[in-house]
Amino acid sequence: MTVLYVLDVDDFRPLAEVASKAPDTTVRRRGPYLEVEAAGEIRIERDATGCRNAVWYSSVAAVESGRVSRWDKVELVVTPRGDAL
Amino acid sequence: MSTMERAHVVRGVDHAAFPTFDPRGTITFYRDVLGFPVVHATCALGWGPGDHPDFIHFFFDIGNGDRLAFFYYFGVEPYRDTAIPELIHRARHLAIHVDSEEHLQEYRRRLDASDWPCELQVRHETVESIYVTDPNGYLMEITRPLRAITVEDDIDANVSVDALMDVTGEDEPTLEKFFARKARLIAERYAGEAELVTFA
Repeated sequence: MTVLYVLDVDDFRPLAEVASKAPDTTVRRRGPYLEVEAAGEIRIERDATGCRNAVWYSSVAAVESGRVSRWDKVELVVTPRGDAL
Repeated sequence: MSTMERAHVVRGVDHAAFPTFDPRGTITFYRDVLGFPVVHATCALGWGPGDHPDFIHFFFDIGNGDRLAFFYYFGVEPYRDTAIPELIHRARHLAIHVDSEEHLQEYRRRLDASDWPCELQVRHETVESIYVTDPNGYLMEITRPLRAITVEDDIDANVSVDALMDVTGEDEPTLEKFFARKARLIAERYAGEAELVTFA
């Protein structure tokens, strides 16, 4: 299980929306955050979010049970990891 | 007295002050190019006993009653810290606020017509900024809001600094550890509040 949090504001909401289209992925509202939970990895294509550069690279609020394994101009990938920090 | 305890009663920047070894360039840049009015100058014989040099401490109005000030010391050799890494040097900067895109573009126009053209214009997450290096080598930013800062932004900022306090209190802090710590704080603070979200 992998969890990605993004802040629930107009800038970052598209990440949760794009992520929600993948199978086995749910989005919940937790306080001011959107909590994206997936059975495996979470992949979000930047072009699908429409985020400009600065928004894209400040879009991650937090990551639980995973780590950011790719975050470039193409996509954000959060990979599951067993050992919690 | 007790009502004052912990009250947040400061009111912005009175003045921020920097040394200058190029007062002519500094006055040309801030007064003549940017159009910041000169509002005060202290012209002083060295302070008190000792070898404090004579100096001129001059101030520019940067709006809102706030001021940007410089010290020029007579007879002091120019000093620049050449050992400082560029990353750290450019992290130290002053950002001056404007309200609108029109106002930002006006300051860009003034800079571009001068010997100090705008070096960079960036749309950040919540602000759009122009950057220029002033005649002293100080990075200066002029910035306008792109959107309002919301209560969610403020909450997130506080969770972030709490997570930063935690991970920098331990060995070898990393962004990965920060994200993990912040996730735990979010889960703790908002336990049981989750509701499913669907996107239309």
